[in-house]
Amino acid sequence: MSDSLSFMMGDFEAIIPCDRHYAKNHMWAEIKDDGLVRFGFSAYAVRLLQDVYFLEFSVEPLADLQNRQEFGNIESKKAESGLYAPMSGKLIRINEQLLEDPSGINVDKYGQGWLMEMQGDASEMLTAQQYIEHLTLAWDVAQRTIKGQANTTDSSEE
Amino acid sequence: MVIASNDKDSLNGLLVIVSQGQSRNPEKRELEDAIASLASSLPNTVGMVIPNLYDLGNDSQSVAKMQQWKGPIVILSWLFDRAAFWVLDRNQVQGKWAESLLLNPDLVNEDEDEKEDSEDEKAADRVANIAVRPNRNIYSIDMRASNSIAAFEEEFRRILQAEQLDAPKRDLLSLDRFLNPTNTTSLSMDGSGRLDILTNPPAAHESPLGIMPLRVDEHPARRWYPVIDYSRCTNCMECIDFCLFGVYGVDRGETILVEQPDNCRKGCPACSRVCPENAIMFPQHKTPAIAGAPVDAGGFKIDLSKLFGAPERDEDPVAAAARERNEQLILAGRAAVAPPVVTSRNKSESQSTDSASETNELRSKDELDSLIDQLDALDL
Repeated sequence: MSDSLSFMMGDFEAIIPCDRHYAKNHMWAEIKDDGLVRFGFSAYAVRLLQDVYFLEFSVEPLADLQNRQEFGNIESKKAESGLYAPMSGKLIRINEQLLEDPSGINVDKYGQGWLMEMQGDASEMLTAQQYIEHLTLAWDVAQRTIKGQANTTDSSEE
Repeated sequence: MVIASNDKDSLNGLLVIVSQGQSRNPEKRELEDAIASLASSLPNTVGMVIPNLYDLGNDSQSVAKMQQWKGPIVILSWLFDRAAFWVLDRNQVQGKWAESLLLNPDLVNEDEDEKEDSEDEKAADRVANIAVRPNRNIYSIDMRASNSIAAFEEEFRRILQAEQLDAPKRDLLSLDRFLNPTNTTSLSMDGSGRLDILTNPPAAHESPLGIMPLRVDEHPARRWYPVIDYSRCTNCMECIDFCLFGVYGVDRGETILVEQPDNCRKGCPACSRVCPENAIMFPQHKTPAIAGAPVDAGGFKIDLSKLFGAPERDEDPVAAAARERNEQLILAGRAAVAPPVVTSRNKSESQSTDSASETNELRSKDELDSLIDQLDALDL
């Protein structure tokens, strides 16, 4: 078994390490020794975002989050997005260093650039292989989403 | 207040305020600094750099300084121009909306005539027509309008001319008193406030005031609260009825106001959705329509929310508002409530969405393969 898989985004190769799990919203999930689940952005997500300039949490640690509940915002040079909970559970810790300088996400996405830690049931998370399959299926939709917005002046999301 | 309350005919000059962005984008910072320096080099003009306008609170030295100014103002920010104008208004820096010609090209409304007509029709019942603002012009410019410093200079010079301030050496006294308050009736920026002023301007410069913009050294925390556009607000009270966090109140004249802005729940834009007149803005919200963009205007960045897990929703603005309010109630440890009965709806938003998704669908059938590589070339 190799240490990582990869997914081609056009000419860009997104590396997907096998030592952890993934959520469908393109966060990686690592179950720590203390049982908490640490989340960060996958190479796929970081490639879509590119240079991150702004990160904001709208909730504090110990907040209970529902799966896919919006809990903050991220903004990069070219893109922006809400942040959505990768699973239901309690938010335990936020990576304070990222709040100081969110470019840590670009520098070390699988390490020091982690986003937050949650307590909850991570059994629904995908393996690296399953995540690659998810990316393959989702790639057309992703391209359509981006292309459609890039070509029109409208980006309404509601 | 006393400093700038000159005789009617005594012109103050032009105050150009640059509101810094929240993010660490170096390109933005560069443009901010260039614009402020430019402004300070123009005749009869004072340049001023402040932290993100929206984050300033009651105790802000920047706000105190801006309130002293009684002449025309240009406010430049990374907010939509309408949002910045009403944030100033809320901070008692009030005046008449004056059109800037420097507009974000993505936001120019092609049906402008039509829009003005419909606004005139309903003009009578707007709060701003009852509570009249001071008779000085405030020009609000969205810095996303251009990255060309020449474009900003052209617009500043046009404004100076329109305000009859283009001739050099007009009323320097009042400018000097603004920059260097000396008596006890003025707000001193020394000590804790630390207004950084260069008092020895280079003589050869077009502006006798020097080329250093004013900078107030303060670092406010990020805030989140609604901003009311009183040129749209009809005082209908839907918002005060809807919000369960005590953000809204009324003044002595029974006019709606954002009384407790910091009671507002961070990220929650629900009240703006129930406003029948689209008068409530959340300048930092990612949806342009909520952040104060003209109706049907576009955004500037690709929105990845759907890819990053935003729930698929097919709900009207009122349902969205009720859901968002419930999410906030639960986060605050309170019980959720049933959706409100709202009679008037925020129509424009939902309509524009329908046509937008159709358009996206039509345009997205071809040339998908090289997309990500093109992303680099997009200058959004």
